Amino acid sequence: MENPEVLGKAGKKVVILGNEAIARGALEAGLGFSACYPGTPSSEIGITLADIAKNTRKFYYEWSSNEKVAFEACAGAAFSGVRSLTAVKHFGFNVASDSVFPVVYTGVKAGMVFVVADDPQGHSSAQSEQDSRFYSRMGMIPTLEPSNTQECKDLTKKAFEISERFELPVILRTTTMVNHSTGSVKLGAIPKPKTKGRFVKDFERYHSIKPILQKMHCVVLGKIQKMEKQYAGLNCIEGTGKTGIITSGVSYQYIRELGLKNIRLAKLTMTYPISRSFVSRFLKGLKTVIVVEELEPIVEDFVRMVAKDVNPGVRIYGKDILPRVGEFNCDIIMNAIAPVLGLRKPDFSAQDKWLKAIKIPVRKPVLCPGCPHRSTFYAVKKVLGAKPVFAGDIGCYVLGMFKPFEMQDFFLSMGASMGVTHGIEKVSNQRTVIFIGDSTFFHAGMPGLANLVYNDPKPLIVVMDNRITAMTGHQPHPGTGITAMGEKCKPIDIEAVVRSFGIKNVRTVNTYNQKELQATIKEFAGKDEIGVIISRGMCRLLYRKLMKSQGRKLPKFRINPAMSVRCAQHAKEIACPAIQREGSRVSIKEDMCWGCGLCAQIFPKGAVQPVAVGQASAKKGGKK
Amino acid sequence: MTYNVLLTGVGGEGVLVTSVIVARAALLDGHEVRGTQLHGLAQRGGSIPTHVRFGRRAHSPLIPRAQADLILGLEPIEAARVCYFAGKNRTSFIVDTYPIRPSSCNITGETYPSNESVKRMLEPFAKKMVFVDASNICREKFGNPIYGNVMAIGVALSAGMLPIKKQSLIKAIKSTVPRGLEKNMAAFKMGLEFRE
Ligand SMILES: Cc1ncc(C[n+]2csc(CCOP(=O)(O)OP(=O)(O)O)c2C)c(N)n1
Ligand code: SF4
Ligand code: SF4
Repeated sequence: MENPEVLGKAGKKVVILGNEAIARGALEAGLGFSACYPGTPSSEIGITLADIAKNTRKFYYEWSSNEKVAFEACAGAAFSGVRSLTAVKHFGFNVASDSVFPVVYTGVKAGMVFVVADDPQGHSSAQSEQDSRFYSRMGMIPTLEPSNTQECKDLTKKAFEISERFELPVILRTTTMVNHSTGSVKLGAIPKPKTKGRFVKDFERYHSIKPILQKMHCVVLGKIQKMEKQYAGLNCIEGTGKTGIITSGVSYQYIRELGLKNIRLAKLTMTYPISRSFVSRFLKGLKTVIVVEELEPIVEDFVRMVAKDVNPGVRIYGKDILPRVGEFNCDIIMNAIAPVLGLRKPDFSAQDKWLKAIKIPVRKPVLCPGCPHRSTFYAVKKVLGAKPVFAGDIGCYVLGMFKPFEMQDFFLSMGASMGVTHGIEKVSNQRTVIFIGDSTFFHAGMPGLANLVYNDPKPLIVVMDNRITAMTGHQPHPGTGITAMGEKCKPIDIEAVVRSFGIKNVRTVNTYNQKELQATIKEFAGKDEIGVIISRGMCRLLYRKLMKSQGRKLPKFRINPAMSVRCAQHAKEIACPAIQREGSRVSIKEDMCWGCGLCAQIFPKGAVQPVAVGQASAKKGGKK
Repeated sequence: MTYNVLLTGVGGEGVLVTSVIVARAALLDGHEVRGTQLHGLAQRGGSIPTHVRFGRRAHSPLIPRAQADLILGLEPIEAARVCYFAGKNRTSFIVDTYPIRPSSCNITGETYPSNESVKRMLEPFAKKMVFVDASNICREKFGNPIYGNVMAIGVALSAGMLPIKKQSLIKAIKSTVPRGLEKNMAAFKMGLEFRE
């Protein structure tokens, strides 16, 4: 069990993660079905639910092949009367969105909660600083925003209640600092969930065609209007003063932390629909208002609109003083609002000077020791050089963008390597190489591949098949052969899928066999046809865990000191973190070597030798 | 009042587990607890600063600037990296002097600072500093540097830098790391007995 605290008794107080609290809230609401595709900062919701489902067998959980499918599966369960939840990172909403909007029209029978985790600051997302709250308004989807771990649990439960009462999917919108915040949470009771239901045919409900379409649209608008009144009480106002601050999510906690005096503080818990009457009440009699929200001015625009009617003289501050980029913290907020409040900004100039003065080596994330992707990148570069256009995709292999490889010339979104390459090839005639992970292949790679094959460009495609969805913490995918609930199943063979598209040059190669890998790259690159190499080698981190759980040890290698200098250039080319450079000499840090054998294949003959197991343990006392 | 502990280190060093021990112990003492655990790319050797705050008035999950009471650096330069949260009149540092060179140094050729220069970096931000070779001591004693974390908690407690009851910490260690408990308890005790 990942964290048994999540299953603590009702009434108990525990310290858990925001994401764990959301999972617990779902259980307390009688969750019967859940399906997700992983994505930081939402992943631990699914990880927690998967773990509990596997151990208790009380409800169904799966890792679906992408977010759209996960959302649809949850809709199907909710259509059939079983409460469901899916959780995605912000980009997952983009993938699911095509199905999200119609489900608002059809409505659901049982509660359905859609957790959407935004990532201002891009702690764990490269693609954009998207503010998913726009979707709520576009799709008329009720939205709740927790500000801490306790609320993560409580509002998940509340979301199920609202969803079921109004027969609409409800969004729980979070940000990284909520998902990954920890805090004390008081637990409630977990009822026995309903896991079986029945789909009842209903033409009027499930066919969003005109003229039913317009009728449905009216029904949704009516529901939203009603909800705005009924649930205005979720928001709250505290404190008194002529100056008001209105906020939501984690920003509310930052404001409370600041302990400001003589302020009327409004917290919006429901950010779609925003209650007009609540905002009017808040604005009455205020001279100044500050809207504190991360990313886009969504609440701000609404407040400005309401103020025109109820308090036109009020001075409103928002994105004119607070950043629209990145996330907030107490310091950023205080710096922005202090002048408005007539307070002195805290002076950190001396500290700033010190901070600038200290030189700390950066710690960039790197591919793990022994990572299969390293071996693949090395082989492709060895054979094709640095010249081809290297299309990147989303996974651990994005780290190949850095030195020494620099082999991810661009990446947009999952699966985009295929489409973008297609466009580049059609207009440029450049040689292209596509790198795509196995999970990404199933997620969004297949439609792009179909298009490539059909329209005849000739890229070399390398599927980085590490047998798992690694970057988000090792979730299975359709090629893995195990379900989220731990059952063995038949894995879908990527090679067979690719062949079925009519591609002739397809081969699965052991990632760690440089000779074979390089030969295949050479062979396929020499043909004037599309080629697909499935470079297969298990994620080393996962492999290490498996070995550990079986009580087995990974092999280790060391460099013959007499040949150390001759290895330096090669070491630079593979950049394995276990290989350390001091001056012109290199050596392998034994406890960091995960024994993939890559260095042994490419360093000068005899330079790298396996360490006998007995020897390794005798060296235990050594310095790191 | 709120007591703010910032634990930091490198992915794989057990920073998260250590923060859970502190958080659980604070809860056992009857405190409200807040904090953060940023996961992200931690498994691939990135820095992971983890915040634990306890007391009645903790709202923000992040420690506000310059308000850390204790910074527990499980790796020297990671301790220096979070000085934004440290203040001269407030912050105590406990630093495990076990260096983990960023592998990017191998490419960039950047040099890794000595303990002495790390000390100089922290000086202007520290009320007090304790440098302890916890991971190495534990590696020699138990064959695994990981126990250095629990030893560091012991050091913090005996130095009066962690206002949590000893019994609560012991309970939290038991519930958080039930495997290898004996070694963890021994490491904790070594921490309690540590004198600079
Ligand atoms: C639409 C979307 N969903 C989820 C993610 C989060 N995500 C980033 S990398 C990744 C894993 C991809 O797995 P794979 O392609 O197998 O590469 P690996 O990490 O295993 O090397 C995921 C799910 C995302 N960036 N975008
Ligand atoms: S987690 Fe796996 S795939 Fe990702 S960098 Fe580490 S070894 Fe490579
Ligand atoms: S040192 Fe060599 S064998 Fe060990 S992990 Fe790195 S490349 Fe693989």
